[in-house]
Amino acid sequence: MFRKFDESENISSTNQLKSSVQRQIRNTILEQMPSIEPYLGDLWHKKENAKVIKCHDHIEILTVGTEPLFFKQRDSPWYPTLKLLHKYPFILPKQQVDRGAIKFVLSGANIMCPGLTSPGADLNMETEVNKAVAVHAEGKINSLAIGLMKMSPQKISEVNKGIGIDTIHYLNDGLWHLKIVK
Amino acid sequence: MSEETESQLDNVQDNEDDLITTEEKSVSYPLKVIYCPECSLPLEYCEFMPEAVLAKCREWREKNLDVLEQEGVEMSSLTLDEPSGDKKRQKRGGRGNLKAKQKKEPEVVRIAKIPRGKRKFMTRVQGLATFDVNLKKASKLFAQKFSCGSSVSAADEILIQGDVTDDLIILIVDTWNEIDEDHIEDLGEVKR
Ligand SMILES: [Zn+2]
Repeated sequence: MFRKFDESENISSTNQLKSSVQRQIRNTILEQMPSIEPYLGDLWHKKENAKVIKCHDHIEILTVGTEPLFFKQRDSPWYPTLKLLHKYPFILPKQQVDRGAIKFVLSGANIMCPGLTSPGADLNMETEVNKAVAVHAEGKINSLAIGLMKMSPQKISEVNKGIGIDTIHYLNDGLWHLKIVK
Repeated sequence: MSEETESQLDNVQDNEDDLITTEEKSVSYPLKVIYCPECSLPLEYCEFMPEAVLAKCREWREKNLDVLEQEGVEMSSLTLDEPSGDKKRQKRGGRGNLKAKQKKEPEVVRIAKIPRGKRKFMTRVQGLATFDVNLKKASKLFAQKFSCGSSVSAADEILIQGDVTDDLIILIVDTWNEIDEDHIEDLGEVKR
């Protein structure tokens, strides 16, 4: 999603959010990531100005102050940015790829099933199709990407080929480097 | 138990393959992740940068070892010349030799104390696999018993943060019936 993302080219507008809209977004985020609830107040003070940056391809990035916190595309769920996820790693269910998959994910490739079923991987059976997951890697502590489950874990282990997880946002992509000027 | 503490615990359990420290269990959020100022990634991912960038990452790291140590960064998990799964090393046959050695001298567990910085040590355990011990589980056990970081660092090697040699020998003998004190060799202080 952000492989070729460039601030100067891909952003179409930045909008202050009305408090009613803020409340709506807040509620949606809480529904999708309930475990963030005790921390959301710290991240996003009620009085502080939240903005939505609208980008090409129907991408919206929610920022508070100078920090991009969440983003979505069209009717996707809200995803946390990786920097936010690193601070609160429990807000998304985890999937683990093997070490060999790391360099592909870091170049933006989607995650193929074998990268999730090999010995170094750890396929979390508790995740659902079309839900956001934190992509972790063998031997690493921090997640390297945020993905969207394209197959159920059951199917991933059965079929064991094709794309298991779409890579949505990864370390070093355009969103990772996005700088917000106040 | 409230919902958030439950999910924190879940998260810790999910991370069982990584370094486990008890600090993580009582940790407060937000976590502080140190990003490499050269490549911008978490330090553990520098190794995947192209060589030109990696050289700078290495340079920065060497200059800032004290700072990193003060921040409590587990340097052992961050070595840029990772032995495990490193293709270059494999080509040179380093791993092959290692395996051959292990086959020649089976059934010994070697424990060594490795200096880390001026006053800190790591404890290295080799040879557990020759007793068919599951290294991942062993590493997790050590982390729990000693309340410290522990990781499987090579084919038959576990690194534990801190000098836990004495307690470790007792724990190993108590945990695995097939390993006696006679099977354990304490190498003392060893350079990496
Ligand atoms: Zn770096």
